Amino acid sequence: MELSYLFYLSSGLFLGWSLGANDASNIFGTAVGSKMVRFTTIALISCFFIILGSVYGGSGTSQTLGSLGAVNALAGAFMVALAAALAVYSMARTGLTVSSSQAVVGAIIGWNIYAGKPTDLEVLAQICSTWTICPLLSGVVAVLLYGLFKKTLQYSHLHLLMQDQITRIGLVVTAAISAYALGANNIANAVGMFVESCPFKPIHIGNVGTFTPEQVLFFLGAVAVSVGILTYSKKVIMTVGNNLMKMTPISAWIVVLAQAIVLLLFSSVSLHNWLEAHSLPALPLVPVSSTQAVIGAIVGIGLLKGGRGINWAIVGKIIVGWVAAPVISLTICFISLFFLENVFNQIVYLPD
Amino acid sequence: MFNVKISLFSGTRELEHKIDLMHDKVIESAMYFKEAFAIFLKEKRSTSYRRASKKIKNIESQADDLRREIESSLYAQNLIPDLRADVLQLVENIDKVINEFDEVAHKFYIEQPDIPLQYQEDFKVLVHQVSDCAENMAIASRAFFRDFATVRDYSQKVYFLEHESDKTWAKLKQNVFDSDMELAHKIQLNMLIGDVADVADKAEDCIDALLIFTIKRDI
Repeated sequence: MELSYLFYLSSGLFLGWSLGANDASNIFGTAVGSKMVRFTTIALISCFFIILGSVYGGSGTSQTLGSLGAVNALAGAFMVALAAALAVYSMARTGLTVSSSQAVVGAIIGWNIYAGKPTDLEVLAQICSTWTICPLLSGVVAVLLYGLFKKTLQYSHLHLLMQDQITRIGLVVTAAISAYALGANNIANAVGMFVESCPFKPIHIGNVGTFTPEQVLFFLGAVAVSVGILTYSKKVIMTVGNNLMKMTPISAWIVVLAQAIVLLLFSSVSLHNWLEAHSLPALPLVPVSSTQAVIGAIVGIGLLKGGRGINWAIVGKIIVGWVAAPVISLTICFISLFFLENVFNQIVYLPD
Repeated sequence: MFNVKISLFSGTRELEHKIDLMHDKVIESAMYFKEAFAIFLKEKRSTSYRRASKKIKNIESQADDLRREIESSLYAQNLIPDLRADVLQLVENIDKVINEFDEVAHKFYIEQPDIPLQYQEDFKVLVHQVSDCAENMAIASRAFFRDFATVRDYSQKVYFLEHESDKTWAKLKQNVFDSDMELAHKIQLNMLIGDVADVADKAEDCIDALLIFTIKRDI
Protein backbone atom coordinates (compact mmCIF):
# COMPACT_ATOMS: atom_id res chain seq x y z
CA MET A 1 0.00 0.00 0.00
CA GLU A 2 2.71 2.44 1.04
CA LEU A 3 4.80 1.68 -2.05
CA SER A 4 1.94 2.09 -4.52
CA TYR A 5 0.96 5.29 -2.70
CA LEU A 6 4.47 6.61 -3.16
CA PHE A 7 4.28 5.72 -6.87
CA TYR A 8 1.05 7.71 -7.25
CA LEU A 9 2.47 10.50 -5.14
CA SER A 10 5.38 10.81 -7.57
CA SER A 11 3.32 13.10 -9.86
CA GLY A 12 2.69 15.42 -6.90
CA LEU A 13 6.38 15.33 -6.04
CA PHE A 14 7.20 16.14 -9.67
CA LEU A 15 4.81 19.11 -9.47
CA GLY A 16 6.52 20.10 -6.22
CA TRP A 17 9.92 19.87 -7.90
CA SER A 18 8.80 22.12 -10.78
CA LEU A 19 7.25 24.54 -8.26
CA GLY A 20 10.60 24.75 -6.47
CA ALA A 21 12.52 25.16 -9.71
CA ASN A 22 10.23 27.94 -11.00
CA ASP A 23 9.05 29.79 -7.90
CA ALA A 24 12.44 30.07 -6.16
CA SER A 25 13.25 32.86 -8.59
CA ASN A 26 10.35 34.82 -7.03
CA ILE A 27 11.88 34.46 -3.57
CA PHE A 28 15.53 35.21 -4.24
CA GLY A 29 15.98 35.49 -8.01
CA THR A 30 17.03 39.12 -8.07
CA ALA A 31 19.21 38.76 -4.95
CA VAL A 32 21.25 36.06 -6.71
CA GLY A 33 21.02 37.63 -10.16
CA SER A 34 22.39 40.95 -8.87
CA LYS A 35 25.18 39.08 -7.02
CA MET A 36 24.04 40.50 -3.67
CA VAL A 37 23.77 37.06 -2.06
CA ARG A 38 25.38 33.69 -2.84
CA PHE A 39 23.01 31.11 -4.37
CA THR A 40 23.94 28.22 -2.02
CA THR A 41 23.46 30.31 1.15
CA ILE A 42 20.05 31.67 0.23
CA ALA A 43 18.84 28.42 -1.38
CA LEU A 44 19.56 26.41 1.79
CA ILE A 45 17.87 29.02 4.01
CA SER A 46 14.83 29.03 1.70
CA CYS A 47 14.60 25.21 1.68
CA PHE A 48 14.55 25.14 5.49
CA PHE A 49 11.78 27.73 5.71
CA ILE A 50 9.73 26.18 2.90
CA ILE A 51 9.70 22.89 4.83
CA LEU A 52 8.77 24.75 8.03
CA GLY A 53 5.98 26.69 6.29
CA SER A 54 4.59 23.59 4.58
CA VAL A 55 4.51 21.45 7.72
CA TYR A 56 3.18 24.09 10.12
CA GLY A 57 1.09 26.34 7.88
CA GLY A 58 0.07 24.29 4.84
CA SER A 59 -3.32 23.08 6.08
CA GLY A 60 -5.33 26.30 5.55
CA THR A 61 -5.05 26.51 1.76
CA SER A 62 -5.26 22.75 1.37
CA GLN A 63 -8.76 22.80 2.92
CA THR A 64 -9.91 25.37 0.35
CA LEU A 65 -8.59 23.25 -2.52
CA GLY A 66 -10.28 20.23 -0.92
CA SER A 67 -13.62 22.01 -0.88
CA LEU A 68 -13.24 22.83 -4.58
CA GLY A 69 -12.94 19.13 -5.39
CA ALA A 70 -12.20 16.32 -2.94
CA VAL A 71 -10.16 14.00 -5.16
CA ASN A 72 -11.04 10.73 -3.43
CA ALA A 73 -9.13 8.14 -5.48
CA LEU A 74 -5.41 7.78 -5.56
CA ALA A 75 -5.14 7.34 -9.33
CA GLY A 76 -7.34 10.43 -9.78
CA ALA A 77 -5.08 12.48 -7.51
CA PHE A 78 -2.08 11.17 -9.45
CA MET A 79 -3.60 12.39 -12.71
CA VAL A 80 -4.67 15.77 -11.30
CA ALA A 81 -1.09 16.45 -10.18
CA LEU A 82 0.38 15.09 -13.41
CA ALA A 83 -1.97 17.15 -15.59
CA ALA A 84 -1.06 20.30 -13.67
CA ALA A 85 2.65 19.48 -13.89
CA LEU A 86 2.40 18.79 -17.65
CA ALA A 87 0.51 22.05 -18.20
CA VAL A 88 3.18 23.96 -16.26
CA TYR A 89 5.99 22.17 -18.10
CA SER A 90 4.52 22.57 -21.62
CA MET A 91 3.71 26.25 -21.11
CA ALA A 92 7.09 26.98 -19.56
CA ARG A 93 8.71 25.46 -22.66
CA THR A 94 6.84 27.91 -24.89
CA GLY A 95 8.18 30.76 -22.76
CA LEU A 96 4.91 31.59 -20.99
CA THR A 97 5.01 32.36 -17.28
CA VAL A 98 2.84 29.81 -15.54
CA SER A 99 1.10 29.71 -12.21
CA SER A 100 1.05 26.22 -10.73
CA SER A 101 -1.91 27.30 -8.54
CA GLN A 102 -4.01 27.96 -11.62
CA ALA A 103 -2.91 24.74 -13.30
CA VAL A 104 -3.94 22.75 -10.20
CA VAL A 105 -7.35 24.46 -10.00
CA GLY A 106 -7.92 23.69 -13.71
CA ALA A 107 -6.95 20.04 -13.18
CA ILE A 108 -9.25 19.65 -10.14
CA ILE A 109 -12.18 21.06 -12.13
CA GLY A 110 -11.25 18.62 -14.92
CA TRP A 111 -11.49 15.78 -12.35
CA ASN A 112 -14.84 17.13 -11.06
CA ILE A 113 -16.27 17.18 -14.59
CA TYR A 114 -14.96 13.69 -15.38
CA ALA A 115 -16.20 12.24 -12.09
CA GLY A 116 -19.55 13.99 -12.47
CA LYS A 117 -19.07 15.78 -9.14
CA PRO A 118 -20.44 19.29 -8.73
CA THR A 119 -17.88 22.09 -8.57
CA ASP A 120 -18.56 24.44 -5.69
CA LEU A 121 -19.06 27.60 -7.69
CA GLU A 122 -18.77 29.78 -4.63
CA VAL A 123 -15.32 28.39 -3.83
CA LEU A 124 -14.35 28.60 -7.50
CA ALA A 125 -15.44 32.25 -7.65
CA GLN A 126 -13.47 32.89 -4.46
CA ILE A 127 -10.33 31.28 -5.94
CA CYS A 128 -10.69 33.04 -9.31
CA SER A 129 -11.20 36.39 -7.59
CA THR A 130 -7.84 35.96 -5.85
CA TRP A 131 -6.14 35.69 -9.26
CA THR A 132 -7.02 39.36 -9.72
CA ILE A 133 -6.86 40.45 -6.10
CA CYS A 134 -3.42 38.89 -5.49
CA PRO A 135 -1.43 40.89 -8.12
CA LEU A 136 -3.45 44.06 -7.39
CA LEU A 137 -2.90 43.77 -3.64
CA SER A 138 0.75 42.96 -4.18
CA GLY A 139 1.09 46.05 -6.41
CA VAL A 140 -0.53 48.27 -3.78
CA VAL A 141 1.65 46.83 -0.97
CA ALA A 142 4.78 47.31 -3.14
CA VAL A 143 3.88 50.94 -3.89
CA LEU A 144 3.32 51.65 -0.17
CA LEU A 145 6.59 49.95 0.75
CA TYR A 146 8.42 51.83 -2.01
CA GLY A 147 7.19 55.16 -0.62
CA LEU A 148 8.15 54.14 2.91
CA PHE A 149 11.64 52.97 1.88
CA LYS A 150 12.25 56.10 -0.17
CA LYS A 151 11.28 58.43 2.68
CA THR A 152 13.32 56.42 5.19
CA LEU A 153 16.42 56.53 2.99
CA GLN A 154 15.94 60.22 2.34
CA TYR A 155 15.85 61.12 6.03
CA SER A 156 18.21 58.52 7.48
CA HIS A 157 21.27 59.68 5.45
CA LEU A 158 22.63 56.15 5.52
CA HIS A 159 25.95 55.68 3.79
CA LEU A 160 25.68 53.89 0.44
CA LEU A 161 27.83 51.02 1.74
CA MET A 162 25.79 50.59 4.93
CA GLN A 163 22.63 50.70 2.84
CA ASP A 164 24.10 47.92 0.70
CA GLN A 165 24.84 45.74 3.76
CA ILE A 166 21.36 46.30 5.21
CA THR A 167 19.82 45.43 1.83
CA ARG A 168 21.74 42.14 1.80
CA ILE A 169 20.52 41.22 5.29
CA GLY A 170 17.02 42.34 4.32
CA LEU A 171 17.07 40.18 1.19
CA VAL A 172 18.07 37.10 3.19
CA VAL A 173 15.52 37.69 5.99
CA THR A 174 12.76 38.45 3.48
CA ALA A 175 13.66 35.37 1.45
CA ALA A 176 13.23 33.30 4.64
CA ILE A 177 9.80 34.86 5.36
CA SER A 178 8.86 34.52 1.73
CA ALA A 179 9.94 30.86 1.67
CA TYR A 180 7.83 30.17 4.76
CA ALA A 181 4.86 31.89 3.10
CA LEU A 182 5.41 29.99 -0.15
CA GLY A 183 5.54 26.69 1.72
CA ALA A 184 2.40 27.51 3.71
CA ASN A 185 0.49 28.79 0.71
CA ASN A 186 1.63 26.62 -2.17
CA ILE A 187 2.29 23.16 -0.73
CA ALA A 188 -1.41 22.40 -1.27
CA ASN A 189 -0.80 22.83 -5.01
CA ALA A 190 1.81 20.09 -5.07
CA VAL A 191 0.36 17.43 -2.76
CA GLY A 192 -2.97 18.86 -1.51
CA MET A 193 -4.96 16.51 -3.76
CA PHE A 194 -3.41 13.48 -1.99
CA VAL A 195 -4.69 14.50 1.46
CA GLU A 196 -8.01 12.63 1.06
CA SER A 197 -6.25 9.33 0.33
CA CYS A 198 -3.28 9.84 2.66
CA PRO A 199 -2.27 6.51 4.28
CA PHE A 200 0.46 7.84 6.61
CA LYS A 201 0.25 7.33 10.36
CA PRO A 202 0.93 10.09 12.90
CA ILE A 203 4.62 10.34 13.85
CA HIS A 204 5.59 11.06 17.45
CA ILE A 205 9.00 12.61 18.01
CA GLY A 206 9.87 12.57 21.72
CA ASN A 207 8.92 15.83 23.39
CA VAL A 208 9.00 17.76 20.09
CA GLY A 209 5.40 16.83 19.28
CA THR A 210 3.27 14.76 16.96
CA PHE A 211 3.12 15.16 13.22
CA THR A 212 -0.27 14.43 11.65
CA PRO A 213 -0.47 12.28 8.47
CA GLU A 214 -1.22 15.49 6.55
CA GLN A 215 1.95 17.11 7.91
CA VAL A 216 4.01 14.07 6.91
CA LEU A 217 2.59 14.36 3.39
CA PHE A 218 3.37 18.08 3.29
CA PHE A 219 6.89 17.37 4.53
CA LEU A 220 7.49 15.02 1.57
CA GLY A 221 6.07 17.63 -0.80
CA ALA A 222 8.29 20.33 0.72
CA VAL A 223 11.36 18.11 0.30
CA ALA A 224 10.47 17.81 -3.41
CA VAL A 225 10.12 21.61 -3.63
CA SER A 226 13.53 21.95 -1.95
CA VAL A 227 15.11 19.51 -4.40
CA GLY A 228 13.64 21.63 -7.22
CA ILE A 229 15.24 24.74 -5.71
CA LEU A 230 18.64 23.14 -5.23
CA THR A 231 18.83 21.35 -8.59
CA TYR A 232 17.18 23.59 -11.15
CA SER A 233 16.25 27.07 -9.84
CA LYS A 234 19.68 28.61 -10.49
CA LYS A 235 19.27 27.85 -14.18
CA VAL A 236 15.80 29.44 -14.21
CA ILE A 237 17.09 32.52 -12.34
CA MET A 238 19.95 33.01 -14.79
CA THR A 239 17.64 32.56 -17.81
CA VAL A 240 14.71 34.67 -16.63
CA GLY A 241 16.79 37.44 -15.04
CA ASN A 242 15.34 40.94 -14.97
CA ASN A 243 13.55 40.88 -18.30
CA LEU A 244 10.25 42.32 -17.03
CA MET A 245 11.87 45.45 -15.61
CA LYS A 246 15.40 46.36 -14.56
CA MET A 247 15.47 46.64 -10.79
CA THR A 248 17.88 47.90 -8.18
CA PRO A 249 18.62 45.61 -5.19
CA ILE A 250 16.36 47.75 -2.96
CA SER A 251 13.47 47.54 -5.44
CA ALA A 252 14.04 43.79 -5.60
CA TRP A 253 13.86 43.62 -1.82
CA ILE A 254 10.57 45.58 -1.85
CA VAL A 255 9.12 43.22 -4.48
CA VAL A 256 10.01 40.10 -2.47
CA LEU A 257 8.70 41.69 0.73
CA ALA A 258 5.39 42.63 -0.93
CA GLN A 259 5.09 39.09 -2.27
CA ALA A 260 5.79 37.59 1.18
CA ILE A 261 3.19 39.84 2.84
CA VAL A 262 0.53 38.98 0.27
CA LEU A 263 1.25 35.24 0.42
CA LEU A 264 1.07 35.33 4.23
CA LEU A 265 -2.26 37.20 4.06
CA PHE A 266 -3.65 34.44 1.84
CA SER A 267 -2.33 31.57 3.96
CA SER A 268 -2.15 32.52 7.66
CA VAL A 269 -4.95 30.71 9.50
CA SER A 270 -4.35 32.67 12.71
CA LEU A 271 -4.48 36.03 10.88
CA HIS A 272 -7.65 34.89 9.09
CA ASN A 273 -9.28 33.91 12.41
CA TRP A 274 -8.16 37.12 14.10
CA LEU A 275 -9.62 39.29 11.31
CA GLU A 276 -12.90 37.37 11.39
CA ALA A 277 -13.07 37.58 15.20
CA HIS A 278 -12.77 41.36 14.97
CA SER A 279 -15.42 41.57 12.20
CA LEU A 280 -12.80 42.69 9.68
CA PRO A 281 -12.78 41.52 6.04
CA ALA A 282 -10.53 38.45 5.92
CA LEU A 283 -8.88 37.24 2.74
CA PRO A 284 -9.78 33.68 1.72
CA LEU A 285 -7.19 30.99 2.49
CA VAL A 286 -6.39 30.15 -1.11
CA PRO A 287 -3.16 29.02 -2.76
CA VAL A 288 -2.21 32.05 -4.82
CA SER A 289 0.55 32.36 -7.37
CA SER A 290 3.81 33.79 -6.08
CA THR A 291 4.62 34.67 -9.71
CA GLN A 292 1.46 36.76 -9.93
CA ALA A 293 2.31 38.47 -6.65
CA VAL A 294 5.82 39.30 -7.87
CA ILE A 295 4.59 40.57 -11.22
CA GLY A 296 1.92 42.69 -9.49
CA ALA A 297 4.60 44.23 -7.26
CA ILE A 298 7.00 44.92 -10.17
CA VAL A 299 4.27 46.50 -12.30
CA GLY A 300 3.12 48.55 -9.27
CA ILE A 301 6.59 50.01 -8.76
CA GLY A 302 7.03 50.45 -12.52
CA LEU A 303 3.78 52.42 -12.78
CA LEU A 304 4.79 54.56 -9.82
CA LYS A 305 7.97 55.44 -11.70
CA GLY A 306 5.92 56.44 -14.77
CA GLY A 307 5.62 53.04 -16.47
CA ARG A 308 8.50 53.62 -18.90
CA GLY A 309 10.71 50.82 -17.59
CA ILE A 310 8.12 48.05 -17.93
CA ASN A 311 8.31 45.61 -20.82
CA TRP A 312 4.59 45.55 -21.68
CA ALA A 313 5.01 42.79 -24.29
CA ILE A 314 6.11 40.43 -21.51
CA VAL A 315 3.23 41.58 -19.27
CA GLY A 316 0.80 40.74 -22.12
CA LYS A 317 2.39 37.31 -22.53
CA ILE A 318 2.04 36.68 -18.79
CA ILE A 319 -1.68 37.56 -18.85
CA VAL A 320 -2.20 35.13 -21.76
CA GLY A 321 -0.48 32.48 -19.62
CA TRP A 322 -2.82 33.20 -16.70
CA VAL A 323 -5.88 32.56 -18.87
CA ALA A 324 -4.42 29.57 -20.71
CA ALA A 325 -2.99 27.64 -17.72
CA PRO A 326 -6.26 26.44 -16.09
CA VAL A 327 -7.85 25.69 -19.48
CA ILE A 328 -4.89 23.58 -20.64
CA SER A 329 -4.59 21.63 -17.37
CA LEU A 330 -8.37 21.02 -17.31
CA THR A 331 -8.23 19.58 -20.82
CA ILE A 332 -5.14 17.42 -20.13
CA CYS A 333 -6.67 16.12 -16.89
CA PHE A 334 -10.04 15.25 -18.44
CA ILE A 335 -8.53 13.37 -21.41
CA SER A 336 -5.89 11.58 -19.29
CA LEU A 337 -8.46 10.44 -16.72
CA PHE A 338 -10.41 8.81 -19.56
CA PHE A 339 -7.30 6.87 -20.64
CA LEU A 340 -6.31 6.00 -17.08
CA GLU A 341 -9.75 4.57 -16.36
CA ASN A 342 -10.48 2.83 -19.66
CA VAL A 343 -7.03 1.79 -20.90
CA PHE A 344 -5.17 1.19 -17.61
CA ASN A 345 -8.25 0.08 -15.64
CA GLN A 346 -7.54 2.38 -12.69
CA ILE A 347 -10.17 3.71 -10.31
CA VAL A 348 -9.92 7.45 -10.79
CA TYR A 349 -12.87 8.41 -8.55
CA LEU A 350 -15.07 6.81 -5.95
CA PRO A 351 -18.84 7.25 -6.11
CA ASP A 352 -20.40 9.22 -3.23
CA MET B 1 25.42 40.55 20.10
CA PHE B 2 27.56 43.67 20.19
CA ASN B 3 30.55 41.76 18.78
CA VAL B 4 28.44 40.26 16.00
CA LYS B 5 27.21 43.73 15.06
CA ILE B 6 30.75 45.08 15.02
CA SER B 7 32.19 42.29 12.87
CA LEU B 8 29.26 42.39 10.45
CA PHE B 9 29.70 46.06 9.62
CA SER B 10 33.37 46.71 10.50
CA GLY B 11 34.64 46.17 6.93
CA THR B 12 31.99 48.53 5.62
CA ARG B 13 32.75 51.17 8.24
CA GLU B 14 36.46 51.05 7.37
CA LEU B 15 35.73 51.49 3.69
CA GLU B 16 33.29 54.33 4.44
CA HIS B 17 36.11 56.00 6.35
CA LYS B 18 38.52 55.59 3.41
CA ILE B 19 36.01 57.10 0.97
CA ASP B 20 35.53 60.02 3.35
CA LEU B 21 39.31 60.45 3.58
CA MET B 22 39.54 60.52 -0.23
CA HIS B 23 37.14 63.46 -0.28
CA ASP B 24 39.11 65.16 2.49
CA LYS B 25 42.22 64.88 0.30
CA VAL B 26 40.56 66.91 -2.50
CA ILE B 27 39.66 69.68 -0.07
CA GLU B 28 43.14 69.62 1.51
CA SER B 29 44.90 69.73 -1.88
CA ALA B 30 42.68 72.65 -3.00
CA MET B 31 43.52 74.62 0.15
CA TYR B 32 47.27 73.92 -0.09
CA PHE B 33 47.19 74.82 -3.77
CA LYS B 34 45.77 78.27 -2.98
CA GLU B 35 48.36 78.70 -0.23
CA ALA B 36 51.23 77.52 -2.44
CA PHE B 37 50.26 79.90 -5.24
CA ALA B 38 50.13 82.86 -2.85
CA ILE B 39 53.64 81.95 -1.67
CA PHE B 40 54.85 81.59 -5.28
CA LEU B 41 53.62 85.07 -6.19
CA LYS B 42 55.54 86.51 -3.26
CA GLU B 43 58.67 84.38 -3.15
CA LYS B 44 58.83 82.31 -6.35
CA ARG B 45 60.89 79.10 -5.91
CA SER B 46 61.58 79.52 -2.20
CA THR B 47 61.91 76.95 0.57
CA SER B 48 58.38 77.82 1.69
CA TYR B 49 57.05 77.16 -1.81
CA ARG B 50 58.97 73.90 -1.96
CA ARG B 51 57.39 72.88 1.37
CA ALA B 52 53.87 73.78 0.19
CA SER B 53 54.38 71.94 -3.10
CA LYS B 54 55.71 68.92 -1.21
CA LYS B 55 52.54 68.86 0.94
CA ILE B 56 50.41 68.62 -2.22
CA LYS B 57 52.68 65.84 -3.51
CA ASN B 58 52.18 63.91 -0.25
CA ILE B 59 48.40 64.35 -0.44
CA GLU B 60 48.50 63.08 -4.02
CA SER B 61 50.43 59.97 -3.08
CA GLN B 62 48.12 59.30 -0.07
CA ALA B 63 45.13 59.68 -2.40
CA ASP B 64 46.68 57.15 -4.80
CA ASP B 65 47.05 54.64 -1.94
CA LEU B 66 43.48 55.28 -0.81
CA ARG B 67 42.16 54.80 -4.35
CA ARG B 68 43.89 51.42 -4.63
CA GLU B 69 42.64 50.30 -1.21
CA ILE B 70 39.06 51.38 -2.01
CA GLU B 71 39.15 49.57 -5.34
CA SER B 72 40.46 46.32 -3.90
CA SER B 73 38.10 46.44 -0.88
CA LEU B 74 35.07 46.95 -3.12
CA TYR B 75 35.96 43.82 -5.07
CA ALA B 76 37.28 41.74 -2.16
CA GLN B 77 34.18 42.35 -0.02
CA ASN B 78 31.85 42.12 -3.05
CA LEU B 79 30.18 45.40 -2.07
CA ILE B 80 27.53 47.38 -4.00
CA PRO B 81 27.66 45.08 -7.07
CA ASP B 82 25.18 47.22 -9.01
CA LEU B 83 27.03 50.51 -8.41
CA ARG B 84 30.61 49.25 -7.99
CA ALA B 85 31.76 50.35 -11.43
CA ASP B 86 30.26 53.81 -10.88
CA VAL B 87 31.94 54.24 -7.49
CA LEU B 88 35.27 53.11 -8.93
CA GLN B 89 34.98 55.63 -11.76
CA LEU B 90 34.03 58.33 -9.27
CA VAL B 91 37.08 57.60 -7.09
CA GLU B 92 39.32 57.66 -10.18
CA ASN B 93 37.86 61.01 -11.28
CA ILE B 94 38.48 62.47 -7.81
CA ASP B 95 42.06 61.20 -7.96
CA LYS B 96 42.56 62.90 -11.35
CA VAL B 97 41.63 66.28 -9.82
CA ILE B 98 44.16 65.79 -7.01
CA ASN B 99 46.81 64.74 -9.57
CA GLU B 100 46.13 67.90 -11.53
CA PHE B 101 46.70 70.09 -8.45
CA ASP B 102 50.02 68.32 -7.87
CA GLU B 103 51.14 68.60 -11.50
CA VAL B 104 50.39 72.32 -11.73
CA ALA B 105 52.08 73.08 -8.40
CA HIS B 106 55.15 71.14 -9.57
CA LYS B 107 55.15 72.92 -12.92
CA PHE B 108 55.32 76.28 -11.16
CA TYR B 109 58.28 74.98 -9.15
CA ILE B 110 60.15 73.70 -12.23
CA GLU B 111 59.38 76.47 -14.74
CA GLN B 112 59.45 79.43 -12.28
CA PRO B 113 57.34 81.59 -14.60
CA ASP B 114 57.61 85.31 -14.30
CA ILE B 115 54.08 86.59 -13.75
CA PRO B 116 53.94 90.36 -14.39
CA LEU B 117 52.24 92.34 -11.63
CA GLN B 118 49.28 93.44 -13.79
CA TYR B 119 48.22 89.76 -14.31
CA GLN B 120 48.76 88.55 -10.77
CA GLU B 121 45.27 89.51 -9.51
CA ASP B 122 43.49 87.66 -12.33
CA PHE B 123 45.80 84.68 -11.83
CA LYS B 124 44.87 84.65 -8.13
CA VAL B 125 41.15 84.84 -9.00
CA LEU B 126 41.56 81.90 -11.40
CA VAL B 127 43.37 79.81 -8.77
CA HIS B 128 40.62 80.53 -6.21
CA GLN B 129 37.87 79.69 -8.68
CA VAL B 130 39.35 76.32 -9.66
CA SER B 131 40.08 75.45 -6.02
CA ASP B 132 36.50 76.31 -4.96
CA CYS B 133 35.26 74.31 -7.92
CA ALA B 134 37.22 71.23 -6.77
CA GLU B 135 36.06 71.68 -3.16
CA ASN B 136 32.40 71.79 -4.22
CA MET B 137 32.98 68.75 -6.39
CA ALA B 138 34.25 66.90 -3.31
CA ILE B 139 31.18 67.96 -1.30
CA ALA B 140 28.85 66.84 -4.11
CA SER B 141 30.65 63.53 -4.37
CA ARG B 142 30.48 62.98 -0.61
CA ALA B 143 26.75 63.73 -0.72
CA PHE B 144 26.35 60.97 -3.34
CA PHE B 145 27.18 58.44 -0.62
CA ARG B 146 25.01 59.83 2.18
CA ASP B 147 22.47 62.38 1.03
CA PHE B 148 22.10 62.16 -2.70
CA ALA B 149 19.24 64.67 -2.76
CA THR B 150 21.82 67.47 -2.28
CA VAL B 151 24.22 66.29 -5.04
CA ARG B 152 22.37 68.49 -7.49
CA ASP B 153 22.81 71.64 -5.37
CA TYR B 154 26.59 71.31 -5.17
CA SER B 155 26.81 70.24 -8.81
CA GLN B 156 25.20 73.53 -9.83
CA LYS B 157 27.88 75.38 -7.83
CA VAL B 158 30.59 73.41 -9.66
CA TYR B 159 29.08 74.27 -13.05
CA PHE B 160 28.86 77.93 -12.10
CA LEU B 161 32.46 78.11 -10.84
CA GLU B 162 33.78 76.25 -13.88
CA HIS B 163 32.01 78.74 -16.14
CA GLU B 164 33.46 81.64 -14.16
CA SER B 165 36.95 80.13 -14.35
CA ASP B 166 36.53 79.77 -18.14
CA LYS B 167 35.78 83.51 -18.37
CA THR B 168 38.80 84.40 -16.24
CA TRP B 169 41.00 82.05 -18.31
CA ALA B 170 39.83 83.65 -21.60
CA LYS B 171 40.39 87.17 -20.24
CA LEU B 172 43.87 86.34 -18.93
CA LYS B 173 44.86 84.60 -22.13
CA GLN B 174 43.80 87.58 -24.25
CA ASN B 175 45.62 90.06 -22.00
CA VAL B 176 48.80 87.98 -22.12
CA PHE B 177 48.81 87.81 -25.92
CA ASP B 178 47.92 91.51 -26.22
CA SER B 179 50.97 92.43 -24.13
CA ASP B 180 54.51 93.29 -25.30
CA MET B 181 56.10 90.26 -23.69
CA GLU B 182 58.38 87.87 -25.60
CA LEU B 183 56.48 85.22 -27.51
CA ALA B 184 58.14 82.43 -25.51
CA HIS B 185 57.02 84.12 -22.29
CA LYS B 186 53.46 84.50 -23.63
CA ILE B 187 53.35 80.82 -24.60
CA GLN B 188 54.70 79.72 -21.23
CA LEU B 189 52.09 81.79 -19.33
CA ASN B 190 49.34 80.66 -21.69
CA MET B 191 50.16 77.01 -21.01
CA LEU B 192 50.23 77.56 -17.26
CA ILE B 193 46.88 79.40 -17.33
CA GLY B 194 45.46 76.47 -19.32
CA ASP B 195 46.82 73.94 -16.81
CA VAL B 196 45.26 75.80 -13.86
CA ALA B 197 41.91 76.04 -15.67
CA ASP B 198 42.10 72.30 -16.41
CA VAL B 199 41.49 71.58 -12.70
CA ALA B 200 37.98 73.04 -13.02
CA ASP B 201 37.39 71.12 -16.27
CA LYS B 202 38.32 67.85 -14.54
CA ALA B 203 35.99 68.69 -11.62
CA GLU B 204 33.21 69.38 -14.13
CA ASP B 205 33.81 66.01 -15.88
CA CYS B 206 33.55 64.35 -12.49
CA ILE B 207 30.22 66.07 -11.81
CA ASP B 208 28.83 65.11 -15.24
CA ALA B 209 29.41 61.45 -14.45
CA LEU B 210 28.25 61.89 -10.85
CA LEU B 211 24.84 63.20 -11.92
CA ILE B 212 24.29 60.10 -14.06
CA PHE B 213 25.36 57.85 -11.17
CA THR B 214 22.86 59.69 -8.95
CA ILE B 215 19.99 58.85 -11.31
CA LYS B 216 21.06 55.18 -11.19
CA ARG B 217 21.35 55.30 -7.39
CA ASP B 218 17.66 56.15 -6.99
CA ILE B 219 15.78 53.07 -5.71
